[in-house]
Amino acid sequence: MEPRGEVFVLGLVLSIIVLVISVLISVWARRLTRNLGDYYVAGRSIGAINNGLAMVSLALSLTTFIGLTALIIEGVYIAVAVYASFTAAFIGLMILAAPYLRRHKSFTTMAFISERYDSKSLRFISVIVMMIVSVLYLAGNLKGIGIVFYFLLGVPEVVGIVVGGLVVTLYVTLGGMYGVTYNQTFQTIVLLFCLMFPVAMVLRTLGTAGWFFPPLGYGDLVPEMIEFVPHYFWAMLEHPITYIAIFLGSFFGIIGLPHFVMRFFTVRDAKEARWSTVLCVFLVGLVNTTVYATGFAAVYFMQTTAAGVDLTPAAYDYMVFILVEALAGEGWLALAVAGSVAAGLSTVSGLLMIMGAGLIHDLYGELKPEVDDEKKLKLSYLAMFLVGVFVIIFSLNPPEFILKAIMWAFGIAAAGLGVPIVLGIWWKRTNKYGVGVGMVVGSLIGFAGWIMIDYMGMNPVDIPFPFFNTYLYGPMGWIKVTVLAVCFSFILTVVVSWLTPPPPEDLQRQVDVMHGWPDYDEKRYNGKGLPIAVIVISVFLLWFMTTLYDVFPK
Amino acid sequence: MKDYKLEIWATLICFIIVAFIGGFFSSFVVILNETFFNQVPTPEGLVDFYGETMFVIKEHLTVMGFPLHYFLLVMLSWIGVTVVGAIWCFIMDGIEERQRA
Repeated sequence: MEPRGEVFVLGLVLSIIVLVISVLISVWARRLTRNLGDYYVAGRSIGAINNGLAMVSLALSLTTFIGLTALIIEGVYIAVAVYASFTAAFIGLMILAAPYLRRHKSFTTMAFISERYDSKSLRFISVIVMMIVSVLYLAGNLKGIGIVFYFLLGVPEVVGIVVGGLVVTLYVTLGGMYGVTYNQTFQTIVLLFCLMFPVAMVLRTLGTAGWFFPPLGYGDLVPEMIEFVPHYFWAMLEHPITYIAIFLGSFFGIIGLPHFVMRFFTVRDAKEARWSTVLCVFLVGLVNTTVYATGFAAVYFMQTTAAGVDLTPAAYDYMVFILVEALAGEGWLALAVAGSVAAGLSTVSGLLMIMGAGLIHDLYGELKPEVDDEKKLKLSYLAMFLVGVFVIIFSLNPPEFILKAIMWAFGIAAAGLGVPIVLGIWWKRTNKYGVGVGMVVGSLIGFAGWIMIDYMGMNPVDIPFPFFNTYLYGPMGWIKVTVLAVCFSFILTVVVSWLTPPPPEDLQRQVDVMHGWPDYDEKRYNGKGLPIAVIVISVFLLWFMTTLYDVFPK
Repeated sequence: MKDYKLEIWATLICFIIVAFIGGFFSSFVVILNETFFNQVPTPEGLVDFYGETMFVIKEHLTVMGFPLHYFLLVMLSWIGVTVVGAIWCFIMDGIEERQRA
């Protein structure tokens, strides 16, 4: 894919405006930061609307803006199913974790796991899992910023990665969580306008009757699309376990992704945490359904206007811009570019924030408890900057297809962090031994799967373990590894917790406090129903995964 | 104990609904299709049985132009889960008020 060939001045100007406003917001927000609590959780003073909007921009990264369109071109229905599950996962996050985490009053996911299970070792393990997940997530997003710059200026993607990375590092370091929150709110508003309007214009040019409402405005093109791509709406090309793996990865992955969870530590109370999620899911759904329309329009465009044009899969990541420029015009393209810059910045900032907090608050603070908060605050500025530089260097060799790395991050987060959080909130009997085994085994399965299948490019059939040869052949590496990792994490956590001594009463009491009870009752959240159901469902899913091969022959 | 049971049941029911309509909705489309239509979901077999249009339930059964199952996927995973989430929030707000009292 070639860049546009000339500097796109209007797009560049709008992008620079977005970047400058982001830095100015952080400079303003710096005045609000007086202590460590302000820096990491914005003094727990954020309201539901502000937090909901901030969560939207965190959810709508560049992978949504450009990666999903590419995924729809590649995988059609399955790509929509992935994002449908991701949208619904926010309500799963709210129902299973959000208000309870807020009542726990931790700073980070890692602190929650450590304090709930009274274990320093678990804190260190969860910091390692968090770093793996965050770096995978970040690399995809910084590559997206590189793609935007390449398209705008024709400069190598590396330049975009460095410039975008430095700007976001600067404003996160300066403004802390206040800066990140107000920036994310601003970026959500930019993103909503800059996605909806250009896509509406694209649909209008394609001749759809409902162009003014992109999420549902392309229905009248369906008959023609089915002629071009018969399987576009076809769910049956995938084994049911595919959708179940997507459900496990998205629902428990989002609970395990620390930069999402951290947002709930910033709100005023549990009620604000709940309602901010409802607002968030409505807006995320609005944007995602608009992106489905973009994917549909891209496939339709490739079959009609661009039929005969040789577009390689590598160009699919640019398809949003190609589409908007060809069908809506340069003015709308400039808006789309600015929106994608905002989308990239917001997610990167949230990830940098949690990585800095994890290193200083959870790692350094635990190793050197005697260090006072003022020194920790100064070190936080330094750590945030160094983390930003490290991620920029790591992202210089990013994955080819930006959504892939993020799907792996979801799977690892689900097994490594999502499971201990959910069981820690809903089952008092969960103890540090069970969580330790479940976390380590679950995240190792996910991480090893990523290394072997995605990073090293191995087909599961070539992996030198008999188990893989027997059960895991075929192309769907992420699906299988995610089901294995999450199910084993659940099973081991429950079984080992059951076989080892129960946690002391003060730890069990935390569960009642998280659920808002003023008193303690041993019987609450301590039944056998949940652990038995978890094991039965997990074993069933592991068995169900092996039936894959009855349907799809080897 | 009454509020505790309400919390558990409301959470369980809402989570199952959200997991179904947003999470693995498409699995059921596939499983029900296999069960009732005895289909082996390979691309060739499906095209042979359903024809090139590949509507899930009945050919040309659409809502706003979309095949029914696709429309349901898009709407349930967006508006559907938002409504379920809001209902759960109202229930939890009520429990929280009684806990404070």
